[in-house]
Amino acid sequence: MEIDKVKDPATVKLHSQVEMGSMELKSILGYDDQGLVAAPEKKSSDEAPLKVLYSSGSGSFNRKVMRNTVVHSIRTVVFSSRLNLLMPFGPLAILVQTLTGHHGWVFLLSLLGIIPLAERLGYATEQLACYTGPTVGGLLNATFGNATELIISIYALRNGMIRVVQQSLLGSILSNMLLVLGCAFFAGGLVFSKRPQVFNKPTAAVNSGLLLMAVMGLLLPALLHTTHTELHFGKSALALSRFTSCIMLVAYASYLFFQLKSQRSLYVPVDEGEEIHSDASDDDEEVPEISKWESIIWLTILTAWISILSEYLVNAIEGASVALNIPVAFISVILLPIVGNAAEHAGAVMFAMKDKLDITLGVAIGSSTQISMFGIPFCVMVGWIMGVPMDLNFQLFETATLFITVLVVAFMLQEGTSNYFKGIMLILCYIIVAASFFVHIDPTAIQDKPPETKE
Amino acid sequence: MSYMLPVEMESIDNESIHEFKDEILSIPEMKAQKSQPIQELGEGSFSGGLQAKGDDKMWRNVVCRSIKTVVLSNKLNMLMPFGPLAIFVHIFTGHNGWVFFLTLLGITPLAERLGYATEQLAFYTGPTVGGLLNATFGNATELIISIYALKHGMLRVVQQSLLGSILSNMLLVLGCAFFCGGLVFQDKEQVFNKATAVVNSGLLLMAVMGLLFPAVLHYTHTEVHFGKSELALSRFSSCIMLLAYAIYLFFQLKSQKNLYVPLNEEGSQNEENSDDDDETPEISKWESIIWLIIMTSWISFLSEYLVNAIKGASVAWKIPISFISVILLPIVGNAAEHASAIMFAMKDKLDISLGVAIGSSTQISMFGIPFCVVIGWIMGRPMDLNFQLFETATLFITVLVVAFLLQDGTSNYFKGLMLILCYLIVAASFFVHVDPSAADEAGT
Repeated sequence: MEIDKVKDPATVKLHSQVEMGSMELKSILGYDDQGLVAAPEKKSSDEAPLKVLYSSGSGSFNRKVMRNTVVHSIRTVVFSSRLNLLMPFGPLAILVQTLTGHHGWVFLLSLLGIIPLAERLGYATEQLACYTGPTVGGLLNATFGNATELIISIYALRNGMIRVVQQSLLGSILSNMLLVLGCAFFAGGLVFSKRPQVFNKPTAAVNSGLLLMAVMGLLLPALLHTTHTELHFGKSALALSRFTSCIMLVAYASYLFFQLKSQRSLYVPVDEGEEIHSDASDDDEEVPEISKWESIIWLTILTAWISILSEYLVNAIEGASVALNIPVAFISVILLPIVGNAAEHAGAVMFAMKDKLDITLGVAIGSSTQISMFGIPFCVMVGWIMGVPMDLNFQLFETATLFITVLVVAFMLQEGTSNYFKGIMLILCYIIVAASFFVHIDPTAIQDKPPETKE
Repeated sequence: MSYMLPVEMESIDNESIHEFKDEILSIPEMKAQKSQPIQELGEGSFSGGLQAKGDDKMWRNVVCRSIKTVVLSNKLNMLMPFGPLAIFVHIFTGHNGWVFFLTLLGITPLAERLGYATEQLAFYTGPTVGGLLNATFGNATELIISIYALKHGMLRVVQQSLLGSILSNMLLVLGCAFFCGGLVFQDKEQVFNKATAVVNSGLLLMAVMGLLFPAVLHYTHTEVHFGKSELALSRFSSCIMLLAYAIYLFFQLKSQKNLYVPLNEEGSQNEENSDDDDETPEISKWESIIWLIIMTSWISFLSEYLVNAIKGASVAWKIPISFISVILLPIVGNAAEHASAIMFAMKDKLDISLGVAIGSSTQISMFGIPFCVVIGWIMGRPMDLNFQLFETATLFITVLVVAFLLQDGTSNYFKGLMLILCYLIVAASFFVHVDPSAADEAGT
């Protein structure tokens, strides 16, 4: 039952990507109707004890009530998911770093420590989305959906590790499109081997179109640089990248706008696909488990924790590469994203097995679209503000890999059906990509540290 | 729906802004500079069916009416004086920037009138020859400019302007049309004929293949005879592409005969008989031919100045020649098609818009470019299909994006916006792009 919590991040992605909200979330949530210690009813937006606290005006009136609330909150958020067993690894990583400085171990431990935090972050976001209504909720999901990757990227940018940023974002896209989707199709296809599963074609088509546009945005600066046809060598590609990033952000914003507009015509209650509890079509269709302020507080706490661990993670990458004897490219492109996407991965597979392929697609492809049209340009912008020359020139090998991957996936999605063979094909493609990055060295530099001039 | 439509809708468009449709004028002595040559040609039958030789007054009437119909009826023609002005400026100041700019403005209305004359002529010739006329003259402006550039040995300009024309048609024109149409029809999704769009996409991909092989062959230094092989390959591929285009025309005509719709009538505005002249042509057959010739020669004349001014303009305005060739030239050359495509999209006639935009791209890529290669062959110019890697890759990714967006047969404003933004990205990348072989403008 607790493992079902892992699916919550999946619904986080849903909002902005797919027309219908999550289905049957109620049935897989473990804590529907349970009354916990101090909160008898959860139908209202604030829990009873909190109401008592706030409305009565005397904040610390009843310490016992407060402590109950805090304990209940912690129990709901921290102890409810099995994944959270990995949580102690975070502080352990910091400990190891302080005491031994062995980068390999620090890297592994912080990786493990971040996984549950990322999942809980998605959970907190989705809880908050219950309170804010579909519009803001969708926007929340659209930005926080990949918050983990973005936080890691910003830290890497700060350290001037531009290639790591590019490669980890690229790897996140590849892993979402190939690995997550492949596993989902495969698992779903095995469960439903009698018939092909179907999903919403137009949504997949729009997402594929956006991915192609993102590839175009990445391809042109890379080509410009590779063919040595820039106006001012080295600087033009950067200026072009910044301009293109603005355009891609505009495109993503209009995509969100367009999604919201077309969703309004077929408005389905935000978190409820089927009427399990026929509540009024209110914004809090699904009973949120923690109050609004709790969500915000947890959001802040988790983000802060992820930031701290990311710092250690990023600092340990190079050392880990030396210690574990694998190229930095492999770590950035394959290892980091697998970990960052672990929760989404599980959620997508699970939904596919329940024949809810649209949610799976929302998770996988929607996440790819988000990273490519929002995450990457956002990092370029942040780099611009920081004065770091992050650009869209992902070097020819990476760009070409992305290009062919997008083509393969777009082609497979275009008929709107899925089966286990498609899933296997996608997984095998991912293995090919992973293998090629295992033997890939960056042409630009072995050391990523200083803000380098390209070539 | 087919390539024939690009010109059809121009007539419908002109109808709505045509002020002098049915007027038979008496003698307002409006002397335009073009009146002289017409008076010399006095053969054939006019729409009045008169024996015109004997009556000077009649002649002048006809000529004036013709001029009024063709020259003065379109608001765009206000730009016409810019043509002679450009020549003026060139002779007196030789300031290339201004000459270039003015010539651009001067060519715009001429291009539009050329399309009008072509479509008028198509009334008289029946669907087959009419279709062929449209297929060749549809992009006559670009071809004329290209031939002049070829003559001057500016091979890269030719390649880039043709490429830019394809890109602008596929991204900018189509994007604006989808966007405007989507804004007007927000409640429903506009649909268009999927099959035609798919065929056109297939042809575009074939054109990309034709361009890709010479470019890659050269870039990977794997030619049998360095420099010469890919020229030979280009010429051979061009013949094949021209053959493919001819078969495509034939295929279109054959399949259209089965579902023959009156050639120039999409909505039933005038319920005429299904005759060839369903829509009343506005000028007689011989007038059409004459105007066609006049327009073509004027365009050629101005193109000479235009092409000569390109390099100077690039220096004067400090923008790369690639940007001028790929972005500026085609925007101007396509201005009239652009406006009509948008207008038809807003009237929910997306098939016509697609015919204008994608059909034009197909025409340039499968006919225009190979044609220029063959012309270059005849002229002894080494014009080839190697558009250099950057340009070829840009075309490739663009064709993929557009083919993908068209494949489900629907349109909405978001798709339009995406296409426009893609065009901005492409334009920006050409703004910072210099040719690797920029030195040899004089043809190697």
